[in-house]
Amino acid sequence: MSETNTVQSNGTLKMIDGKKFRGTLQANEIGAAFYQKGKAEPVVEWHYARLHRMDNIRRGGTSTQLTVILKDDSRYIFELDHGLKVYNYMDSHWADKPITPRTRGDELHRLAELRGEKIQVKKHLITRRHPNRSIAGDIGIYLLLILFGLAMVFPLVYLIGSSLKPLDELFRFPPPIWPSHPTTDNFSDLFVTMGQSYVPFSRYLVNTVFITAVGTFGHLVIASMAAFVLAKYEFPGGKVFFAVVTTCLMFSGYVTGIPNYLIMSKLGMIDTYWALILPAFAAPIGLFLMKQFMEGLPTALIEAATIDGAGQFRIFWSIVMPNVKPAWLTMIIFSVQSLWNTSAATVIYSEAKKTLVYALQQIQAGGIARTGQVAAANVIIVSVPILIFVFSQSRILETMASSGIKD
Amino acid sequence: MQHIQSIASKPTASKSFFSRYLDMKRERMAHSWQLAKRNKTCYLFLAPYAILFFTFFILPIGTSIFYSFTYYNILEPARFIGLQNYVNLILQDEVFLTAIKNTFVIAVITGPVGYILSFLFAWFINELPKWLRAVAVVIFYAPSIAGSAFTVFSILFRGDAYGWFNSILMEFGIIEAPRLWLTDPNYMMTILIIVILWMSMGTGFLSFVAGFQGIDRSMYEAGYVDGVRNRWQELYHITLPSMKPMLLFGAVMSITTAFNVCDVPRALCGYPSTDYAARTVVTHLFDYGFSRFEMGYASAIATLLFLVMILCKKAIAGLLGRVGT
Repeated sequence: MSETNTVQSNGTLKMIDGKKFRGTLQANEIGAAFYQKGKAEPVVEWHYARLHRMDNIRRGGTSTQLTVILKDDSRYIFELDHGLKVYNYMDSHWADKPITPRTRGDELHRLAELRGEKIQVKKHLITRRHPNRSIAGDIGIYLLLILFGLAMVFPLVYLIGSSLKPLDELFRFPPPIWPSHPTTDNFSDLFVTMGQSYVPFSRYLVNTVFITAVGTFGHLVIASMAAFVLAKYEFPGGKVFFAVVTTCLMFSGYVTGIPNYLIMSKLGMIDTYWALILPAFAAPIGLFLMKQFMEGLPTALIEAATIDGAGQFRIFWSIVMPNVKPAWLTMIIFSVQSLWNTSAATVIYSEAKKTLVYALQQIQAGGIARTGQVAAANVIIVSVPILIFVFSQSRILETMASSGIKD
Repeated sequence: MQHIQSIASKPTASKSFFSRYLDMKRERMAHSWQLAKRNKTCYLFLAPYAILFFTFFILPIGTSIFYSFTYYNILEPARFIGLQNYVNLILQDEVFLTAIKNTFVIAVITGPVGYILSFLFAWFINELPKWLRAVAVVIFYAPSIAGSAFTVFSILFRGDAYGWFNSILMEFGIIEAPRLWLTDPNYMMTILIIVILWMSMGTGFLSFVAGFQGIDRSMYEAGYVDGVRNRWQELYHITLPSMKPMLLFGAVMSITTAFNVCDVPRALCGYPSTDYAARTVVTHLFDYGFSRFEMGYASAIATLLFLVMILCKKAIAGLLGRVGT
């Protein structure tokens, strides 16, 4: 091992077969080695290994455990006494680059092959991926998932089917699930109907897009600022404030709807976009998820920046925010989902300020003859949040991993 | 600073318990004040959110509690009437009793069932290979973010023969004539519960899926060495204890959806529904608040709902405290 960039830490090595060794772990870009106390030869040595901090370190902020994953996916666990040093060089970009099997290790493999060196990889200890799973259980799980998955997806498929049905198929007995002659007539009819209405369809669309965009952006900035100080600084009142926010996760807009109406009318916000946008800025779920996620950021990152003389706002804007991109996406999807689906009939009266969902409800009121158009409008509205989720799923799940409530 | 030092240097042994307690309090206050002064920018960061949060979440709750003791119809100033609203609610309002019964039935069935199903399916999905997992998560999660998509059930359960469910049943000869699924009080609740369950794989489900993926595999490997033989043992001894925070989060989300049922009955069963058979506490609250403008009465309903939800959360947190121990 080269001397440059080598970091070391005292600790315990736990083998999968139960053996424990006390000693020192040394690691650098090329590999890692564990030396038992007073011995010159390492107990184990890994070349081209990928070092990976355990997930709970990410949440807890201090590294006490370290998992080494080899190319063949076998693992070694270290319990370190002074783990921070190892963390420093390993993956400071963990937040926006989720660790995948093809990273540094593979790159080093490639380089070694170019140099014509032999690669040493230790044998892994557990061969089967799921050693304690029965085949019957696996089959049962697949059957249940298929059964319930079909039930979950059926109404959505039926909705899309209905939106593509020509008029004669909408009223055929028995109704087909999927049209035999799909047509986009319903969509074009929808735009014709909406074009004849008092307020043009595009107006509803613009309203909804405006409310969603402004509400989401403001929510992202304001809630992230609050989440940042709640997660990373200790000040009187912070904990109590967060506990109150956690309790308010339960109270939906319906229950607070009436007093909110009274307050908004006092503030003169009724019949303005602000009546929808300002409450969205303060949505508890966004602050909650962002704070939980930010807690996982290493405190060392912030301490280092403070020593370098960065102000709190600079730390927030150029160090913390770029590192919590997965949480942004999660906040965005929750915010978009609630704003996009709002009908706002109680706080907005002027026709020209109403939203897409409200317009949909009006078409629906047109009765059975409009079944196809309603389905078409529904498909348009529904597809936006679902598509956002499909494309950001992995980031969102990364955020949700820290969503738990600790009491 | 000097103040703190002077307190700390005084001999405490001669003082009474009470004055020592006061000293301690004062010292702690001084310490908090120091901490607050050192972190003043923190309050600046928190302020925009805190102000909005106070205005649109805390203040409404306070307003609700306040108006629940008054008669208030927006036009006249509020008149204090003590507990009259609550007395009327419980003793005289028969529709409210129906609403409570319905909300209770919906909450008791969809809350726990939705919660358990979310957990089970998150667990099952976790056993799938990675690419399939992503597809399955979308399939199960989509209904809950699809917003108004549930209105498709008004086509599926339509009262005439063109309704999909009616046509299937008639095809197989189970019923002779179409049934009015959404307007007949006998069927309404069942259909509501089905629809709400369909939408119940929400934020909590997502949190569970992420929780399962977040558990380090080395714990399972260690468990395997220690003799965990099947997936049930693994679930109970390893998975559940490390997922407690997610379980509590999921429970909070379940309470929210179970008690705040409002859109679904309004859109599917009509508002008001036949014989008030699909009335829930929240639709009742809407009726009094936005149709009859009896704000005091509506506030009393909201206050009761707050109380019940907080109690539910406390009870569940207590229950979860014992999981896996």
